[in-house]
Amino acid sequence: MPMAGYTYSFDHAHLLGIEGLHPLDITHILDLADRYADATRAGQRADPVLTGRTVVNLFFENSTRTMSSFEIAAKRLGADVINMPVANSSVKKGETLIDTAMTLNAMKPDVLVIRHSASGGAKLLSRKVDCAVINAGDGTHEHPTQGLLDVLTIRRNKGRVEGLKVVICGDIAHSRVARSTTMALHLLGAEVHLCGPKTLLPPGTDTWGAASATTDFDAALKGADVVMMLRLQMERMDGAFLPSRREYFRYFGLTQERLALALPDATVMHPGPMNRGIEIESAIADGPRSVITEQVEMGVAVREAVLDLLAGTHR
Amino acid sequence: MSLSIHNARLLDPATGLDEPGAIFIDKGKIKDIAKGHSGPHSDAKETLDAGGLCLAPGLIDLRVKTGEPGDEQKETLATASRSAVAGGVTSFVVMPDTRPVVDDVALVRFIIEQARKTAKARIYPSGALTVGLRGEQMAEIGLMADAEAIIFTNGDMPIANASVMKRVMAYAASRNALVMSRPDERALSGSGVMNSGALAARIGLSGIPPEAEWIGAARDVMLAEATGCRLVVDQVSTERTLQIIAAARGRGAKIHATVAAHTLFFNERDVGDYLTYCKVNPPFRDEETRQGLIAALKRREIDAVVSAHDPQPPEEKRLPFGEAAFGAAGLETTLSALMSLVNDADLPLLDALAPVTCRPADLLGLPQGRLKTGAPADLILFNPGKPWLCVREELRSRSTNSPFDGRRLQGRVIRTLVGGETVFEYAAAG
Repeated sequence: MPMAGYTYSFDHAHLLGIEGLHPLDITHILDLADRYADATRAGQRADPVLTGRTVVNLFFENSTRTMSSFEIAAKRLGADVINMPVANSSVKKGETLIDTAMTLNAMKPDVLVIRHSASGGAKLLSRKVDCAVINAGDGTHEHPTQGLLDVLTIRRNKGRVEGLKVVICGDIAHSRVARSTTMALHLLGAEVHLCGPKTLLPPGTDTWGAASATTDFDAALKGADVVMMLRLQMERMDGAFLPSRREYFRYFGLTQERLALALPDATVMHPGPMNRGIEIESAIADGPRSVITEQVEMGVAVREAVLDLLAGTHR
Repeated sequence: MSLSIHNARLLDPATGLDEPGAIFIDKGKIKDIAKGHSGPHSDAKETLDAGGLCLAPGLIDLRVKTGEPGDEQKETLATASRSAVAGGVTSFVVMPDTRPVVDDVALVRFIIEQARKTAKARIYPSGALTVGLRGEQMAEIGLMADAEAIIFTNGDMPIANASVMKRVMAYAASRNALVMSRPDERALSGSGVMNSGALAARIGLSGIPPEAEWIGAARDVMLAEATGCRLVVDQVSTERTLQIIAAARGRGAKIHATVAAHTLFFNERDVGDYLTYCKVNPPFRDEETRQGLIAALKRREIDAVVSAHDPQPPEEKRLPFGEAAFGAAGLETTLSALMSLVNDADLPLLDALAPVTCRPADLLGLPQGRLKTGAPADLILFNPGKPWLCVREELRSRSTNSPFDGRRLQGRVIRTLVGGETVFEYAAAG
């Protein structure tokens, strides 16, 4: 993107996290994703910039949603897509992540999209292969395309990101979405407030760029432009992170009354899949302020943009 | 066979000696120590001009793991000893965490015998406190002590049940056996893989909180006081744990502390981009904590610095951080880690050497670890300031999982003698 005095080019070999990206990188990805989203809405075919490219979806954790989103994005751009849900293949027989990576690498793919249960899994893979690696979620670390799609959805709905007050509520400690989305929003100038039960609020969220971390959801909501609810994993009831679903919903569930504390035009988001009645009321999830399905739509657009930037034949 | 080493800088932490001199070795023992600029001893069949290098007792390491028996692909007693003597370590204690566990007299004898036949350094077996390290049934502490197991420990599997710990300590005390235990409340540290805190949270790794160590140490120290047991608190990683120990010592308890050399060198930031060579337990803490440990070392509150040598082959380390094995190879880098503190952190040279020579010797009741007439001639000639680049592939351990890989270090052993025999020479190193 030409700017006064210099030209910008996206020069990252991989997308492993939001950490390490410059605000210009993010803006560039979002601008491209915007164009892909508009084209899809207008019923236009995208340029097949990935024709002849092979994209491998290497998912060590099952995730139909994210894998489908990457698959659709890659196919729209003309790529050949191989889905490898490794959760039930040779890795179960003792083959390590690196062995799998080296085997796949020998088949010369152009892009590896990886989801792995271990933090740092994508980074480890990127050190051992020659192709571009996209992190589709590594443990409790990052999920950068989710962070980007969240920011894109916000930017399209609010017309800007800078200066917005965004509240992210839920299991912050175990959420890779919270990390990536907080970092991306902060880089573009939004004010991010994290909220959740004390046992699920990790230390040092200021280093992610969060303006505050609180257990008082009501106070955090005041004046919020955007409210993002995170999925509560039911296993958090084990190990004494939380007393019960009921108590969680009482303090951290998004209800109509609570949403009234935010700005009247506040946007409601959720990375999905939702636990209706636990972190969010159905009426809100399906209501006019919810952009949850638009997030899914923007997910495809962002992934098209990232695949294009990392592996497009015209670049 | 007699040897005279002259033109050396004699360093004896036990007596505070630091001056030029010569040493005469005969029949494996130190026969004479001559201070001042003297030439070679007149009776010596062989003479060596040290060229002004430091001559000090060889290092004594209280905590080494090998893979023998059971995991020889990781390390054998022989390969560990090769690595040890290259790092100036002439005596070391091997942990009972092997397959099978050293919880039986036969295993103690096996290690002594195997070491005698294959190793270049003196190797002392430890015995398990409980059968199979399972923390349930007491192992044959008395019989193993009679077979010359030198220390008793549950290794990397500290005893969770306080009642078992208390009985084991009481029994060990009655046999005058030395007990060593990792202070670790597993209910708190269980799933952790690095130091807890902001950094762990940001990179999405589960943390090992210092409270796990404090609670473990407080329990073990109180039980040692209650039973009169001599206790070595294994691999302290925070200053506060040392305070817990100091308080008990103030009440007359026989409690000692060790610190792993790498803990004095690295902090949690070295984990960086999920470097599994920096995955150790206890974990590298924050910089303030590291500085606190160095200060404690200067105040002589740390009885022994250990390598915590724990060889792990690539298949255990080339994994995502959370799944990789704990442990770092350290025998060859302990002295350099300490010399970096001498050169960069104002640690007096003799204070750096005492916790790896005379103090562990006193703990174990060994005659070596000092420059003393009649003591075994386990000696090192070293250059405390010599820079070198640590390259993993050049380390002599069978597993080279060293966090020092790629680091510039200072301090290099030039020659190592065990019982008067040269077992390592830097120039001849290949």
